[in-house]
Amino acid sequence: MNIIGPDYLVFGVDDLASSAEYLTDFGLTPVDVDATGGLFEALDGTGIIIRAKSDPSLPDPLPTATMLRQQVYGVVAPEDIDAIAAELGKDRRVTRLADGSIETTDVHGFALKFQVTRRRPLSMPAEKINAPGAPAQRAPNELGVFPGKPAQPRTLSHHVLFVPDQDAARDFYCDRLGFVVTDVLKPAGPFLRPRANDDHHTLFFITTPEYMKGLEHLAFHMGGPTELMLAGTRLVNKGYQSFWGPGRHKFGSNWFWYFNSPLGTHFEYDADMDKHDDSWVAREAMLTPKASQVFLFEAQRRWMPGPDPKGIVEDEGTPEW
Amino acid sequence: MVSTAPETTHALCRADAIGEGQARGFPRTPGARQKVIVLRKGGRLHGWLDSCPHYAGGTPMAWKTDRYLNGEGTHLACHSHGAQFDMETGDCVVGPCLGQRLTRVRLETGADGMVRLAED
Ligand code: FES
Ligand SMILES: [Fe+2]
Repeated sequence: MNIIGPDYLVFGVDDLASSAEYLTDFGLTPVDVDATGGLFEALDGTGIIIRAKSDPSLPDPLPTATMLRQQVYGVVAPEDIDAIAAELGKDRRVTRLADGSIETTDVHGFALKFQVTRRRPLSMPAEKINAPGAPAQRAPNELGVFPGKPAQPRTLSHHVLFVPDQDAARDFYCDRLGFVVTDVLKPAGPFLRPRANDDHHTLFFITTPEYMKGLEHLAFHMGGPTELMLAGTRLVNKGYQSFWGPGRHKFGSNWFWYFNSPLGTHFEYDADMDKHDDSWVAREAMLTPKASQVFLFEAQRRWMPGPDPKGIVEDEGTPEW
Repeated sequence: MVSTAPETTHALCRADAIGEGQARGFPRTPGARQKVIVLRKGGRLHGWLDSCPHYAGGTPMAWKTDRYLNGEGTHLACHSHGAQFDMETGDCVVGPCLGQRLTRVRLETGADGMVRLAED
């Protein structure tokens, strides 16, 4: 079962216009979007699909606050879909759609879809840095920051579910769908990596009461920490609400910056996540602020020491980089 | 209610700047990061700390400057995990902080038409 990871996360929202504004400012590109919603995609074609919460084309909502309506997984080949259909068909309803994809639900009732991935292969350099002792990554006269420097989400990275029973969730995704546990934060839950993806995690669970079942956050990979900081700063400058970060996680080593959203979940920029193979032995740690992050910063209004008599020059209304 | 607070104390906003069914956020004290949400419902102004009770420390609830309400404009919402709160009682009606409520901030409107934190 060669599952790559989430191609799309599908939402039923109570404010399509605000959600569209948010997703666009987050850096996603609207594709086929009209008054009924549509897909907002990252550079590789993965992304977020929004519809009105009353849209009859959506799977039923969970009886909680979450607006997440479906997780669409990309797999490598049609044979993988057949294998998933055979396995999950043993104890749950699996519906085959005209395009060959299948729909079903997981052990907690979250709606799932599996399709041959629609991801476009990305071919672009990682963020380039220069360091003494190492070959320069940027050529002479090639600048690190410059006006209009791109900082767009490259691909849908991972999402995190609030679930009442983390063991049941782990067993479903690992035993039935071939995910592996890469690390565990106790008592919250495990990080999971699907078979056809070497990222530290595409899925993480946080144990919560039943009435909280839903989506804690979702994340997109950026090209590096500077892109992450730049994209986040652009959001802050537009008035968006930072929730946590920027900082760097320990498990996964990824940089992070989380923002509130009108889709009832956090949107995270992440960058530079660890890669793993089957020789990796999962670690365990207690979930504490120290275990969660190496460091944590908070954005502030840009200022500088300078010639101004007050010693501070406020930086407002300057052209945005 | 007419304020007894000296008009020199920090004013949040003009009372008539908050229309029926609207909510806006203002720094609790000059320059503070912590905001007070001022909203008008049924003609009355209500003040709430911009601090979702889901996590013990309390976290800011808007998704963008002054965007505190759910899509229908019927409830205050935390745009972290979608919790919704009654605009007049602060009670969480759905979401992770079910059974908890927002912290009320008492407001006074001065003779000058400005809204300030009530003096205890
Ligand atoms: S932080 Fe407000 S609902 Fe979770
Ligand atoms: Fe994350």
